[in-house]
Amino acid sequence: MKRFIKLTVLFLIPVVLFLFGLGFLAGGTTDPFYLRFTSPPQKNLIVGTSKSAQGIQPEVLEKELGIAFYNYSFTVSHSPYGRSYFESIKKKHNKEKGGTFIVSVDPWSISSYCHDPNDESQFRERNSCVAITENVNAFPNYEYLYKNLDGNYRHILIKANDKILLHNDGWLEVFDIDMSSEEVQKRVTKKVKNYRSKYLQQAKLSQVRLHYLEQTISYFKEYGKVYLIRLPVSSSIYAIENELMPDFDSIIEPMIEMSNGYLDMTPFNRDYIYTDGNHLYSESGAKASQFIADWMNGVSRNLKPSQAE
Amino acid sequence: MLFNSIEFILFLPLVFGCYWLIPNRKLSYQNLLILVASYFFYGWWDWKFLGLILFSTIVDYSIGIFLSRSHKKIARKLLLWISILVNIGLLGFFKYYNFFIENFTLAFNSIGIHVNQSSLNIILPVGISFYTFQTLSYTIDVYRQNIKATHSFLSFAAFVSFFPQLVAGPIERASHLLPQFENARKFDYKNAVNGMRQILWGLFKKIVIADNAAEIVNQIYSQSGEVSGNSLALAAFFFAFQIYGDFSGYSDIAIGTARLFGFDLKQNFAFPYFSRNIAEFWRRWHISLSTWFRDYLYIPLGGSKGNILKKIRNTFIIFLVSGFWHGANWTFIVWGGLNALFFLPLLLTEKNRKYLNNVSDNSNIPPFKVFMQIIFTFSLTCIAWIFFRADSVHHAFEIINRIFSKSLIQYSGIDFVGTRFHPLTVLVLICLFILVEWLGRKQQFAIEHFRFYRIKSLKYGFYYLILLAIFWFNGSPQEFIYFQF
Repeated sequence: MKRFIKLTVLFLIPVVLFLFGLGFLAGGTTDPFYLRFTSPPQKNLIVGTSKSAQGIQPEVLEKELGIAFYNYSFTVSHSPYGRSYFESIKKKHNKEKGGTFIVSVDPWSISSYCHDPNDESQFRERNSCVAITENVNAFPNYEYLYKNLDGNYRHILIKANDKILLHNDGWLEVFDIDMSSEEVQKRVTKKVKNYRSKYLQQAKLSQVRLHYLEQTISYFKEYGKVYLIRLPVSSSIYAIENELMPDFDSIIEPMIEMSNGYLDMTPFNRDYIYTDGNHLYSESGAKASQFIADWMNGVSRNLKPSQAE
Repeated sequence: MLFNSIEFILFLPLVFGCYWLIPNRKLSYQNLLILVASYFFYGWWDWKFLGLILFSTIVDYSIGIFLSRSHKKIARKLLLWISILVNIGLLGFFKYYNFFIENFTLAFNSIGIHVNQSSLNIILPVGISFYTFQTLSYTIDVYRQNIKATHSFLSFAAFVSFFPQLVAGPIERASHLLPQFENARKFDYKNAVNGMRQILWGLFKKIVIADNAAEIVNQIYSQSGEVSGNSLALAAFFFAFQIYGDFSGYSDIAIGTARLFGFDLKQNFAFPYFSRNIAEFWRRWHISLSTWFRDYLYIPLGGSKGNILKKIRNTFIIFLVSGFWHGANWTFIVWGGLNALFFLPLLLTEKNRKYLNNVSDNSNIPPFKVFMQIIFTFSLTCIAWIFFRADSVHHAFEIINRIFSKSLIQYSGIDFVGTRFHPLTVLVLICLFILVEWLGRKQQFAIEHFRFYRIKSLKYGFYYLILLAIFWFNGSPQEFIYFQF
């Protein structure tokens, strides 16, 4: 018996050490989300979906505003506004006063795809990493790796996707993709087709999501300033968003009132380039981030948004 | 609780440690620990169905006691039938109620008698087909006086719920397993090491072979209406390895785990894909179920004795019932019927017991004839598996039609976007797997013993290599197929 236990333990020691060590190797190429669950709690947050995850660059904001932001945005499937995301945001926040928060909004982030748009048990994010990861501030985050990599641990050692890199500040960079006009057009066409045939058919405004957007803003307000941003998108995606929610601004009017300012960047859609019509290309992301920083500076100097623009 | 889960990785050493640390290894305490651990193991999935196991245990334990006291033939028969009705009743309600209701409704409606369908939303309790058959075999054996009824409720309850084999077998016989609960177990180093080895191999089969094959099969089946015959043939091939890796992998982990606790469970798979004909295949595939049906159904019906008609009838009954055991769907029944058709010619020409030895016993390179026999038998099983996997009988026929059409030789590019590995990679893994299985085909499980184990560095290197393969080539986790049965 002793011999059996001794040999088994000896045999398993390298295995356990290897698995333990893997946690330290996991990083920005493991998957598009892991790193966001490894930083300490943050004072200044950017929240939203993949548009802000890829489009808002904390480094650019910091240069301009001197505020170290952390991009805690995920995707429209993982982090639409709702209970799960709200709870996760609260865990990621360090509860320090004097913070600054950027809340990215668009029609998808307050919509549900289920039959009853207010039925939380059917919300699409219910099994996502945002919903199921209890500890969002651990390095290495073994809970995240176990629950969300689905056993695909080799992606810790080899890149899951050689065109994405999640930065330490939470910005998801998409790089080395063909940005020739034909290829971009192909991706836009595919995205538009997908949005029209799939999401637009199912999406409905959710009062529950709207409530959680309000809760999120209200929570942030306790700790500092909150800015609402609607990021630019390509004209074809914008047309779909308008079909889904033509009165988007009036729907979020109460939240705009609560915030320290609302910047709708869709009038400047043509000023930016997109990887697929929906997400800002990294260079455009930097430009948009600079624009946001300038606007925030203007707002904080008590200028009207229109003047800041 | 799944064998390939973190919960089980924690559960197993904990129970193992407590089990062997019990002072003086007192039997009743060990059995009690197994019982509690088994109920915990099952309750992890859904504690509400623990009552069913307990009910089945109490019924068959009590009937066993009454049978041992009763000498009147009628009373004994009555007791036997109570057990049969209770166990088959449980199975019938939870597994077949909706199937019968739907089919009766359909049948009545088709002859113009309108009947309202009132199906129920019934959840199938995991493992019910396995533990009801296990308890049933106990009562039948006591009735037949093949074994004596146990008077220890604890031993019997632990026998029924023994966690390694509770949810997906092997279906153990009381004559083999129950005495092991009633006699002191001692720790055997070699047996325990062998158990660990078998667990390792079972995990490889499940995680590397079955889960990867499943992804490709699912991908092809999800677009089965559009893909060509060769893709569907590929899916049939991969499904053969999915189901084998899945189920025999589970059995290996179950048997290996039982060994750690000093128990010996029967071999459930004996390298069935190396069979030279269908009869041999059925002696090597899901042995615990095949022998159950043989002993409790086929032989009482007369077996292969009697005239030709009786032989045909008995063969069809056993295969159809076996198919139906797998699930309440016509696809399983047709699968069983098809296997009966494959088996019958062998039975009628008395070639069904031709191959009782190991294939290619004296050489690792099989003669060409044997090789072709293996390929032919494997192809037949692949065709039958199509019914097992298809959504409906009609769907299965569509697939077979497409496989045996011109599109079998047409190129069709399938986009395997959702799979972790390209089918070629999985094919290479399967080839390596077949090689290891072939080299170890004379053993209880493929990696039980190799000559190179004498060199420690090679032995441990081989174990680490398997672990590395599990780490690197694991497929997207899928539930064990046989849980649904």
